[in-house]
Amino acid sequence: MTVRAASGLGSTTARHTLEAWSQWWRRNTYLTYLVRRLGLYVVSLWGAFTVTFLFFHMIPGNPIQSFLESLQQQEVYGVSAGQEVVDHYKKLFGLEGNLFDQYVAYLYRVFVAHDLGPALINFPTDVTLIVSRALPWTIGLLGIATVMAWAIGVALGTLAGHLRDGTSAQVLTNVAIVFSHIPAYFVALILLFVFAYRLAILPSSAAYKASITPEPSLEFILSLLRHGTLPALSIVIVQACNELIVTRMLIVSTLGEDYLTLADAKGLRPRHILTHYALRNCYLPLVTAFGINLGRIISGNVLVERIFNYPGIGNLLVQAIAILDFNTIQGIIALLIFAVLTANLVIDLLLPVLDARVKNW
Amino acid sequence: MWHTIIGQLRTSARLQFGLGLLGLLVVLAIVHPLASGVVGSQDAGGDPLAIAAYRPWLMPTGSHWLGTDRYGRDILVMSLTGLSASLQVGLIAGLISTAIGVIVAFVGGYKGGAWDSTLRTVTDMFLVIPSLPLLLVLSAYVRRVSLAQVGVMLAIFSWAFAARTMRAHVLSIRSRPYVDLARINDASDMEIIFQELLPNLLPYIGVGFANAAINSIFGLVALEVIGLGPAGVIDLGMMINFSINWGAMSLGAWPLFMAPITLLSLLFMAQQLVNIGLEEVYNPRLRSVAGA
Repeated sequence: MTVRAASGLGSTTARHTLEAWSQWWRRNTYLTYLVRRLGLYVVSLWGAFTVTFLFFHMIPGNPIQSFLESLQQQEVYGVSAGQEVVDHYKKLFGLEGNLFDQYVAYLYRVFVAHDLGPALINFPTDVTLIVSRALPWTIGLLGIATVMAWAIGVALGTLAGHLRDGTSAQVLTNVAIVFSHIPAYFVALILLFVFAYRLAILPSSAAYKASITPEPSLEFILSLLRHGTLPALSIVIVQACNELIVTRMLIVSTLGEDYLTLADAKGLRPRHILTHYALRNCYLPLVTAFGINLGRIISGNVLVERIFNYPGIGNLLVQAIAILDFNTIQGIIALLIFAVLTANLVIDLLLPVLDARVKNW
Repeated sequence: MWHTIIGQLRTSARLQFGLGLLGLLVVLAIVHPLASGVVGSQDAGGDPLAIAAYRPWLMPTGSHWLGTDRYGRDILVMSLTGLSASLQVGLIAGLISTAIGVIVAFVGGYKGGAWDSTLRTVTDMFLVIPSLPLLLVLSAYVRRVSLAQVGVMLAIFSWAFAARTMRAHVLSIRSRPYVDLARINDASDMEIIFQELLPNLLPYIGVGFANAAINSIFGLVALEVIGLGPAGVIDLGMMINFSINWGAMSLGAWPLFMAPITLLSLLFMAQQLVNIGLEEVYNPRLRSVAGA
C-alpha cells in the first residue's frame, strides 16, 4: 500500500515535470530536430559500417584468406607459413572467432581504438599513419577545387539566369549541360594530353618536383601550384558546370517573385537586386545539392588522382586494391563513409540556422 | 501522361535531339559487325580486330578513319564493338536495378509505415555511400568475371536512385481518385498495383532504366580505367585503359582515347537532354523557363 501511495504521489510531480519538459521541448524545435538528426547520423554511421563489414566478409574470393596469403608471401618468402603464424596474424588483425566476435572487434577498432592494424603496402607501418599522410593532399586538392568551382559556377550561373534569353547565355547553358555530368577523369585525360604532352607546359604527374625538398619556400609552393593545376582544373570544370546549371535554374525560378518586383519598384539597381535579393535565396539549395553530390565528387577524385599519380587518398586506394591490402582498403572506405555522412550531417544542421523557413523537418 | 510526353516530344528540341542521339548510338552499336565487314574487306577479307591485322599506331587515313592501336587493330571498328559491349552491360545492369528499384518503390510507397521507413533508410544509405570505392574493391576480389556478372555487380550500386524517384511518384499516384475507386470496388493490392499504378508509372520506369543503364556503363568504365573489370572483352572503358597503359598520350595517338571519350560523352549528353526534356513534362512550370 505504502509503495503504491508513494508512487502515486511521485507520479503527480513526475507529470508536472514531464509537462514542463514537453512544453520546453516543443518551444525548442531546433533542439528536437538536432536530437533527431544526430540519432539518424549515429544510425546511418552504424548501418554503413555494418554493411561494409558484411561486404568485406561475404564477397566471393574471401578477402581475409587472400590477405593472409599475400601476407605470408611477403613475410615468409616462399615457405608456407605454419598454423601458429596464421593464428598469430589472425589475432593481430582481429580475425579470431566467429563472425559476430569479429564484428564486435571491428566496431571496437574503428570507433573506440581508431586502430586499423598494420598496412601491407608498407608492412609494419600503421594504416592510420599511411592514410593520414595521404589525407592532406586530397583535402587540399578537393578543397581548393571545390571553392573555385563554386565561385565560378555561381557567378556564371547567375549571369546565365539573368540573361536567360540571350544567345550567349543559352550557348553557355547548353555547354554546361554537356560538361556537368561527364566524369572528371575524362576531362583529366584530355587536359593531360593537351597540356602535359602536346604543349608540354605543365607536369603530368606527382604533387611536386622530386628534386625539391618539401619546405615552405617559394620554389616549393610554385612547384605545388604547377603540379596541382591540371588535377584541380579537371575537377573545377565539371563541378563549375554543375553549379552553373543549378544556380541558373534557381535564379530563373526566383525572378518572377513579388519581392523582386518590389525591389525593382524601389528603384534599386538591377545588379544589386540580382546579388542581394535573387542570389541570396539560392544559397541553401546549392548547399544541399553539394551535400548530395559529395559522394560522387569523392569517387571522381579517386580516378583523377590515379591519372595524375597524385599522392592522395584516391591513389592510395588504387595501390592498396592492386595488392589486395585488406586493412588499408577497409581504413580508406571507413574514412570516406565517415566523411560523407558527417558532411551531410553538418549541412543538415546548418540549414535551419541559415534559413528560418526550414523548420521542423 | 503519355499524351503530355508525345506533345512535349513535338515541341521540345532538347527531347528530340536527345532521343535522336540515343537512337543513333544504339543503331551504331547494333550494326558494328557491318562496319567490321566493310573495313575488313579492304584487306582481302579478315578480322580488323585480329592481332597485327594492320601496321601498329597508324594515324587516321582514308582506309582507317581513326587509325590503328598498338597491335595494329582498327580503332573505328574497335570503338563500335566496344560501344556494343558497353551498351550490353548497361542493358543488364539497367534491367536488374530497375527491377529492384520498382519493387522497393512499390513496397515502400504503397505499403507505407514501417516497411517504408526501413526501405527508405536503406535506400538513402546506398545513395550517400561513395559507391565507386566499394565497387573497385568488389571487382578486385572477384577475378575473371563475365560481362553479365559485372552487370549484376554494377546493379547492386545503381538501384537506389531509381528507387527513390519512383517512390515519390508512387506516393503521388497512390492517393489519386481512381485508385481510391478501385479500392472501394474491393480490388486487391496486387490488382491495384498492376492495373492502376504500374501502367501510369511506365514512363518513369523507362527513364529510371535509362539512367541506371548509363550510370552502370560509366561505373564499368571507371573500373577499367584502373585495370579491373571483365576479362577478354574490349569495351569503351578498356580502350581508355589501353591508352593509359600503352602511353598513347606521349605517342600522340589521340584516336585511342578520344574515340571512346567522345562516344561516352555523347551517350551522357543524350541522357541529360532526355532527362531535361522529360522533367519539363513532369514539371510544367519549367517549360517556360528552361530555355530553348
